[in-house]
Amino acid sequence: MSVLDLRHVSKSFAATAALKDMDLSIEPGEIHAIVGENGAGKSTLIKIMTGVHQPDQGQIFVAGVAVTIRSTQEAQSHGIAAIYQEPMVFPDLDVAENIFISNRAQGAFMNWKQIYAQAADLIAQLGVTLDVHRAASGLTLAEQQTVEIARALSLNVKVLIMDEPTASLSAHEVARLLSIARALKAKGVAVIYISHRLDEIFQVADRVTVIRDGQHISTKPIAQVTPDGMVKDMVGRAIDTFAVKSAANPHGDSVLRLEGLGRSGVFSGITFDLSAGEVLCFAGLVGARRTDVALALFGISPATEGRILIDGQAVTITSPQQAMSHKIAYVSEDRRKMGLALSLPIFANISLASLGKLLGAFGLIDRKAEAAMAEGYRKQLAIKSPHVGVEVGKLSGGNQQKVMLAKWLETKPRILIFDEPTRGVDVGAKAEVHNIIRALAQEGVAVLVISSDLPEVMALADRVLVMREGRQAGILDIAEATQEKVIRLAAGSAHGQVAA
Amino acid sequence: MTRLHPQTLRIIALFVALLATILFFSTQIDNYLSSRMFTRITTSAAVILPIAVGQAIVVMTRNIDLSIGSTVGVVAYLTGEFLGGHPDLHPLAVAMIAMGIGGLMGAINGVLVAWGRVPSIIVTLGTLALYRSFLVQYSDAKTITTASLPQWLVDLPQANAFSLFGLDVRVTVVLALLSAVAMGLALTRLRAARRIYAVGSNPDAAVMAGINAGMVVFVAFVLSGAFAGLSGLIFLAKFGNITVVAGMGFELKSVAAVVVGGVSILGGSGSMIGVVIGCVLVDTIDNSLTRWELVSEFWRDALLGMLIMAAVTVDTVMSRSLGRLGGKGGA
Repeated sequence: MSVLDLRHVSKSFAATAALKDMDLSIEPGEIHAIVGENGAGKSTLIKIMTGVHQPDQGQIFVAGVAVTIRSTQEAQSHGIAAIYQEPMVFPDLDVAENIFISNRAQGAFMNWKQIYAQAADLIAQLGVTLDVHRAASGLTLAEQQTVEIARALSLNVKVLIMDEPTASLSAHEVARLLSIARALKAKGVAVIYISHRLDEIFQVADRVTVIRDGQHISTKPIAQVTPDGMVKDMVGRAIDTFAVKSAANPHGDSVLRLEGLGRSGVFSGITFDLSAGEVLCFAGLVGARRTDVALALFGISPATEGRILIDGQAVTITSPQQAMSHKIAYVSEDRRKMGLALSLPIFANISLASLGKLLGAFGLIDRKAEAAMAEGYRKQLAIKSPHVGVEVGKLSGGNQQKVMLAKWLETKPRILIFDEPTRGVDVGAKAEVHNIIRALAQEGVAVLVISSDLPEVMALADRVLVMREGRQAGILDIAEATQEKVIRLAAGSAHGQVAA
Repeated sequence: MTRLHPQTLRIIALFVALLATILFFSTQIDNYLSSRMFTRITTSAAVILPIAVGQAIVVMTRNIDLSIGSTVGVVAYLTGEFLGGHPDLHPLAVAMIAMGIGGLMGAINGVLVAWGRVPSIIVTLGTLALYRSFLVQYSDAKTITTASLPQWLVDLPQANAFSLFGLDVRVTVVLALLSAVAMGLALTRLRAARRIYAVGSNPDAAVMAGINAGMVVFVAFVLSGAFAGLSGLIFLAKFGNITVVAGMGFELKSVAAVVVGGVSILGGSGSMIGVVIGCVLVDTIDNSLTRWELVSEFWRDALLGMLIMAAVTVDTVMSRSLGRLGGKGGA
């Protein structure tokens, strides 16, 4: 019997139908992948299963019994729990307490000895090692996820929803998460696995459900699915999964040269040449300090050793203003924190870094020019929004990414740094972002891309610089680079096998 | 044990700071290390400690209660007035009434913060003024005097619980300490109380983990009000005469005691041992400055202000260097 059944579930917000007549049936002990573009209704589906939203129509059955789920607590009492891309842990509490904080079966008093013992047991069941006394604030994202999964396990979870769990993980952490998913499956837990990374789905899933525009499109055993067919189902048309780059890239003169660049205690010895029209990808595990190199180049946390040369001239960059005067732009990883003012409209976000060019009479901002400029980018980058006065916070992740890109393109950069440009972005938008990056390179912009998504690195890069623990582990030409080689360099020989 | 390490260090540092303060003033003020000074400081701290305990709970949930000064005043006045009409009430019933009134006033804050979604700093700043105005209006400028209070309450501040090495420990001091000990035990042993840390540490995660975060915040404010009620009763006993300015400025003192005691103003961490030492430290400085001839006593508030800023600065710098993941949620 199905452990969880959704029958004819519909949900609308105002005039928008998020889910239409959705059917979904989850079997115990299966890993069931759900794929769909952003806006396809995955989030709404999760929120209905976890009690955040209630369906307008339709029924939910848990082990054959019709239920209503009105809150996260009720979902938990039915054995349904979820973990998300950003782990939800309590930084001030330790691992064990994080696991048991909301466990009602534990009684009124804290039996610390028992809590630590049980926590250690749960962690062990997942096949990982983690000190249960450690404070959650010191854990990596992957470890925090492990804590969340252990928490779900402690609540006798029957259905665990994993929503984009690997979006922020490095290759060997992904491998570990997938093995955790398999461990859960072996214990009879049904795992609902939601990811934009199709390769992971083919590695781990038993069945795949595709949804599009709030509707159920197909549910098939993984053996009957091909990547192309799946993508076609998702977008309703055939697209290239990854942009195909032009055969030969114009390699002009060196625009940017780093000589032994370092920041004491963070990273050191970064040396490379970057030409106009070239795409250099930074690969490595999370924590390899790739972003710190970008932050040093952009002057946010300046380098303390080595040299930066632009057009052969040594320069000092100690602030973003200086970086921008050298025509360097940085499209950051954290759209919310460093990139965008979510409460401001699209046009104000795009013009933010280049207001100086938009001054009209009396030094006031020329509103018309600002709107026209923004409108140009809306069309060029296909930002999905009725007009440029829409608040950025209301756009989907992929479109937010495009707004941020437009902001930096308007500064007319010669050196453009992308930090995880497609993190949390769906397949369709991902291909668009890749095309834009390649087009920029064609126009002669020197591009640096930091990416943890190996297929993306392979698709975009002319050369791959691999970092390991703050050091440059090697540079590979794309002709000689394979995913295995990159992983081996990134993880060091000792861990070479883990993710391969 | 790694779990306790930073906190333990902090308590030791606080204790050293307290000893250094006492040592310093003993060189400055004649006859400082006397049993009279001990009684003066401990009984003064006994008024503040319960509200500091309540404030600590609220701060741990990432909120703040600025209204407690007014709550203390209202509770002291209302309880005093009520006792005038019912002098034969059992002391325990009196305590229940005082804490009940305070709890009710805290509940008003709690409802507005937890379910009205109004920031606590705004809500309690509003009720700070509201409760005080209510007291002014209600009392009609009449003062509660010792004459209208039952004898046991008038005698309470002088009552000795026990003596230790020639130092007298008053009953009020024991009462205040009991409130801290009870809350301290609850925070380490009681599952429900652990949720206070969870909610303050990461409110979003608390909701995701199935914790009723609104209820936790509400209860924190009710407790804060109830502890302010207890403080109001001790205040009533200690001073006997209650005017409309009773308890004014206690919010500053309680916040000082709490942050100096190592409760993170960002929520999620802190201990009752820290709060007790922080409270004693604040009151030691406060009472010593009154006696110190070199410095005008009008500097007392300024010094409290500086203490708060210094403590929070140390806290921020420490947590930054520890690299906590604060503010990383929300995606």
